Amino acid sequence: MIRHLFWIGTALALVALVIAAVAFGAVPIPLGSVVDGLAGHGDPAAVAIIRELRLPRVALALLVGAGLGMAGAALQGSLRNPLAEPYLLGVSGGAAVGAVIATTAGLGGAATLPLAAFAGAALATGAALLVARAAGGHADNRVLLMAGVMIGAFANAAIMVALSGAPAESVRGALWWMMGSVADASWPSVAWLGAYTLAAGIALLALAREIDVLALGAEPASGLGLDAARAGRRIFLLSSLLAAATVASAGLVGFVGLVVPHVVRGAGVRRHRPLIAGCALAGATLVVGADLAARVLRPPGELPLGAVTAMIGVPFFLVQLRRLS
Amino acid sequence: MQVRRGPATVTGEQRALTKPLIVRIGKASVAARSQETPRVRATNSDPRSKGLVAARADTAHSVHGPPSPGRVPVPRFRPPPLLLPSLVLALIGAAACRDRRPETPLASAGGRSATSPRRIVSLSPATTEMLFALGVGARVVGRTRWDSYPDAARAVPDLGDGLRPNVEAVLAARPDLVILYETADNRDAEERLHAAGVRTLSLRIDRIEDFARAMRVLGDATGTASRATLVVDSVTATLERVSRATAALPRVRVFWHVWDNPVFTIGGGSYLSQLVDIAGGRNVYGELAASSPQVTLEDVVRRQPDAILAGPVGALSLRNSPAWHAVGAVRWGHILIVDTNLVGRPSVRLGEAAVSLAALLHPPPRRRGVLP
Repeated sequence: MIRHLFWIGTALALVALVIAAVAFGAVPIPLGSVVDGLAGHGDPAAVAIIRELRLPRVALALLVGAGLGMAGAALQGSLRNPLAEPYLLGVSGGAAVGAVIATTAGLGGAATLPLAAFAGAALATGAALLVARAAGGHADNRVLLMAGVMIGAFANAAIMVALSGAPAESVRGALWWMMGSVADASWPSVAWLGAYTLAAGIALLALAREIDVLALGAEPASGLGLDAARAGRRIFLLSSLLAAATVASAGLVGFVGLVVPHVVRGAGVRRHRPLIAGCALAGATLVVGADLAARVLRPPGELPLGAVTAMIGVPFFLVQLRRLS
Repeated sequence: MQVRRGPATVTGEQRALTKPLIVRIGKASVAARSQETPRVRATNSDPRSKGLVAARADTAHSVHGPPSPGRVPVPRFRPPPLLLPSLVLALIGAAACRDRRPETPLASAGGRSATSPRRIVSLSPATTEMLFALGVGARVVGRTRWDSYPDAARAVPDLGDGLRPNVEAVLAARPDLVILYETADNRDAEERLHAAGVRTLSLRIDRIEDFARAMRVLGDATGTASRATLVVDSVTATLERVSRATAALPRVRVFWHVWDNPVFTIGGGSYLSQLVDIAGGRNVYGELAASSPQVTLEDVVRRQPDAILAGPVGALSLRNSPAWHAVGAVRWGHILIVDTNLVGRPSVRLGEAAVSLAALLHPPPRRRGVLP
C-alpha cells in the first residue's frame, strides 16, 4: 500500500514542482503569460525566458536528479554500503577534476566534457576501491567511504591548484560551478545529459538483477554463479558515468544519491529494478524542488544548488551514520 | 554572427577621427585651467580645495609648453589583451581614501619634504598609471602583475597580485609608501605593512569623482599637486567633450557583461555606468546602487538591452553559451568588445576610454561631423 502511495505521491509531486519551477523565477511572469510563453506567442521577452531559460533549466535539474538518484541506488546496492554516494565516494570530485582539465585544454564541449569527467571519475573511484581493498575495507563500510572522502578532498585541492593562476573572476565562476548549479542550462546540454542518462540508466535497469545478487554479498553471489568482481566493476563504471555526466553539466550536486535511495527503500521498494526507477523519479523531484528553492529563497540572487542539497543531505547523512554505529 | 571589434581594430579613418581629439588633451588641460571645470569643483568640497586653488596658481609658472612625453602618458589605442582582472580590480576598488602613517616619521631622503616618498609600491594598475602621469614614475619600485600602462611601467618589478598582495615581496622592495586598493581583501596586508613601519595609502575608485579625489591625494602625497590638477582637468575636459558630442544621439541601452555564471554586471555605483552615459548609452542596470551587482539571466532578458558590452573573453563565452542566446542582443550579434585594459581602469585615460566607448556605441558614420 505504502509502495503505491510512494509512486503516486512522488509522481504528483514531480509534476507539481515542474509546473511551479516553470511558473516562478527571478522575473515574475503572470500565469497567463507563462501559458502563452510555452505556446510561443505573446511578449517575446517572456517567450525567451520561459522557453529558452526556464524549461531547459527544469529539464536539466530533472535529469541531474534522476542520474544522481540512480547512481546512488546502484552504488549502495552493489557495494552493500548504505552511505555510498557519488559525491562521498570521490566520484564527483574526480569527475570535476576531469572536467576542469578538459576545459583548460579547450575540450569543453557539451559532448566531450562528460567523457573527460567520466575519465576523472573512473580514476578516482578506482583509487578509492583499491585503497579500500588494500585496507580490507569490505568488512567495514566506513573505510571505503573514508577513502572516497579523502580522494574528494584531494580533487578539490587539485582544482584549487589548477585555478591558482586564473583570474579572480574565473575562479569565482569555477567555485560557483563546484557548488553545483543548473543556471547555465540550455537545450543542447539537456540533450547530451539526456542521452547519457538514458543510456546508462537503461543499462543499470538491465543489470538490476545482478545488483540484487551483489547486495546479498560476494560469497552468496558467487554461489549463485555470478562473477561478483566483474559485475561490481560494471555497475561501478555505469554509476560513475551517470555521476560524471551530471557533474559535467551541473557541477557538484552532493547528497542526492545518498538521500533518495533511503527514502525509496523506506517506502518499501526493495528489488533493484523498481528501486532504481523509483530513485530516478524521486531524485528528479528532489533536485527540481531544490533548484526552485535556490532560485526563489534569496532574490534577486541565487543560491548554489549544491548548497541547498547539502543542507538537506548532511543532516540526513549524520542520522544515517548514527544509526550505523 | 557578427561581432564588432573594439578599438583594437580601429580603421585608419576612425583613427584620424579620434587622434586629434586625444592629442589635444595636453593642450586642453592648460586651457582648462581658466575654465575651472565644474565637475572637479563639485568634488572640492573638502578643505583641501583651497590648496588646490593655490596649486592652480602654481601651475601657471610650472607648466609652460607641452609636458615632456616620457612623463605624461601619451594616450593611444592598444590591442585588448585578455585581461579581465584589471576590470575586476577596478570594480572592487574603493571610494574613500585612507591615509595612515606609522608613528615614527620617515627620514627625509634628499632635499624634499620629510614625508615625500622616494620608493613607492603601487598595487593597482590605476594608481600606477596615475603616478606615471604625475611624473613620479621613476619613484615606483613595485607594481602588480596586471600593470601594463604606460610602457615604462612594465620595466618596474612585478610583485604579483594587487588583491591580497604578497607582503614579503612588497617589503623586499623597501618601499616608504605602499598604495593599495581599499577593500576588505587588503585590510590584512595594510596592517602588516604598518607593523613593518611602512606608510600606506588605500584608495577606492568607484566613480569618476573618486578618480579626481585619488589624483589629489596622490598629488599631495608625492608633492605634485599642481600636476594632479592639470591631469584631472584634462581628463574632465575630454569627458565633457564626449558627453557634448553624444548628447543629441539616441541612447543605446546596454548591458555590461562582467561574468556570465553567476551573472555579474555593472551598476550605477560604478564609473563604467557613468562612462556609458557619457558615451551616449544607457546602462540597463544603471538604477542599481552597487558597482558590480549580481543579477539573473531572466532579468537581463526582460530588460531587453540593445547591445552587450563585454571584454574579449566574455564576448567569446557569451557567443558560445546557448543559454545567453535567450538575450536578443546576443542572438543578433550585438556584442561590442571593449578594451578592458583601457576601459577597465578608472585612471588618467578615462577620457580615452569614453572616446572608445562612444566609437563602439555610435560607430563613425553616424558620429562623423558631430564631434568637434
